[in-house]
Amino acid sequence: MNIDSRAVVRTPEQPALRSGALQLKEVRKRFLFDQRELTVLTGLNLDVHPGEFLSIVGPSGCGKSTLLRLIAGLDDDYEGHIALDGSRVAGTSLERGLVFQDHRLFPWMTLEQNVAFALIRRDMSAAARDRLVREHIALVGLSGFEQAYPHQLSGGMSQRAAIARALVNEPKVLLLDEPFGALDALTRVHLQTELQRIWMSQGSTMIMITHDVDEALYLGDRVAVMQAHPGRIAHIVDVDLPHPRDRAAPLLHRLKDDILAELTATDAPRSEAVVPLTRRRSG
Amino acid sequence: MSAALRSYGAGLPARIALGLLVPLALILLWDHQARHGGEHAFAFVSAAQVAGALRELWQSGDLLTAYGNSLRNAFGGLFWGSVTGLAVGSAMALLRPVDWVLTPLYHGLRQVPLLGWLPLIGLWFGSGDLSKVIVVSLSAFYPAVLYTYEGLKGVEARMLEVGQLYRLTPWQTFWRIRWPSALPSLFTGLLQSVAFAWIATIGVELLFPTGFGLGTVMQHGQLQARLDIVVVCIAVVGLTGFAINLLVARLSRHALRWRPVRT
Ligand SMILES: Nc1ncnc2c1ncn2[C@@H]1O[C@H](COP(=O)(O)OP(=O)(O)O)[C@@H](O)[C@H]1O
Ligand SMILES: [Mg+2]
Repeated sequence: MNIDSRAVVRTPEQPALRSGALQLKEVRKRFLFDQRELTVLTGLNLDVHPGEFLSIVGPSGCGKSTLLRLIAGLDDDYEGHIALDGSRVAGTSLERGLVFQDHRLFPWMTLEQNVAFALIRRDMSAAARDRLVREHIALVGLSGFEQAYPHQLSGGMSQRAAIARALVNEPKVLLLDEPFGALDALTRVHLQTELQRIWMSQGSTMIMITHDVDEALYLGDRVAVMQAHPGRIAHIVDVDLPHPRDRAAPLLHRLKDDILAELTATDAPRSEAVVPLTRRRSG
Repeated sequence: MSAALRSYGAGLPARIALGLLVPLALILLWDHQARHGGEHAFAFVSAAQVAGALRELWQSGDLLTAYGNSLRNAFGGLFWGSVTGLAVGSAMALLRPVDWVLTPLYHGLRQVPLLGWLPLIGLWFGSGDLSKVIVVSLSAFYPAVLYTYEGLKGVEARMLEVGQLYRLTPWQTFWRIRWPSALPSLFTGLLQSVAFAWIATIGVELLFPTGFGLGTVMQHGQLQARLDIVVVCIAVVGLTGFAINLLVARLSRHALRWRPVRT
């Protein structure tokens, strides 16, 4: 196939070098629940490269959302080390954006006000603010809907709006927690393509949780596979294909079979005898 | 919204006509009783008599004076009751210690019917306008506290997290998230406060003999066996309550226009 015609690898003049290197070392998270201690994450190590798109898949309840909340700083009661560009994560920061599975737009604000909400703590002129908001609404393809209230938007449009709100601060890292999980299959495919375009034009590091292995492979430079009880990263799979990608690429299908085999194997009680992956790298 | 109505085959004029159907039927029945009711006729007055009483009250200026006095007490009480209710409810919802100290007291006091306070209030503040405004305030105060508290407490944690994510100050969190998300509840409270305040206004005028409000006119009418005057007062009270309610409902619909239309 004539890959050359569509291989648009990110070029140096794009703002890809905003940095955004995330480092997690021996991260452990325990919840006190019903007087009992529940270890949700343990011994979690992960290096996320600046500007990369990392997908995370794993069985439900393995601690994916918990991990993202730790990185976002919504929960900073953890052991171990999480650092962005060398400085330890403590509390939330405008450098780290987060998109939830439920869009969490405020129903009493218009789309425009919802996006501008993210800029409340930024010190900038009204004109600069308006311009940023307008640009990011355009970026997610919602121009013309600035004055709409969330109940007037479809599920897919709401999730686009949530992405615009998270990106308007131009964060170094954008975290996405199953952002398309609640959408229908067609809308999902459409938004995946859009997210790929946005990522390529933005230069933020992106970490996306998903339960959809196709989605993880289509978007991810790498796919981290998590295991449960306690949650940890079992493997990291390199997806060696330039963006934008073709969903039909044979490599994606091969990797999908491997990852699915791995995920279904983890359903059984913990065993070390997991199927070896063709491309495997210890985190 | 109007599509839903149209599917019932009713536009706004038609709806108004439907709403007037039962009241008109009752008036006709009343009028019939007054004229042909036999031994019960003394308890009813004819529509013509009522119209006469209305003209009489209007021309003497009594109706307007009484109406003005009642409205003044109602709005004074509504204002003070709502403002203090809003303040107390907010403090209870936002400050833990206040919640612990005041919430049980509030729920205890709320069990005492408004009428139960009248002797005490009369004793402390006399039976003048001050006492009346205090009673009306109290009636508006209870729902204001309750719905402010519920509204501010009911803010979803998932919404507050968005504020945390974008590093809002506590003050910004209050104005941008807690307050608007409590707004529907606040308007429900206001609607109740308004209704109770108006009822309390007339009630306290009936029970406290001083001053000159609609309740007083009603009382005089009763003492003089002028049923026609009583009926005029009842009609004015009812229509006013209806109009205020409509106004607040309109206001609330405008302020909450961001909500999806319920069908
Ligand atoms: N606030 C909490 N208190 C106690 N347990 C929690 C809390 N949040 C999550 N958990 C537990 O942590 C585990 C991982 O949850 P989560 O991170 O949401 O999983 P995932 O997103 O992978 O499905 C679950 O067993 C869940 O019950
Ligand atoms: Mg989750």
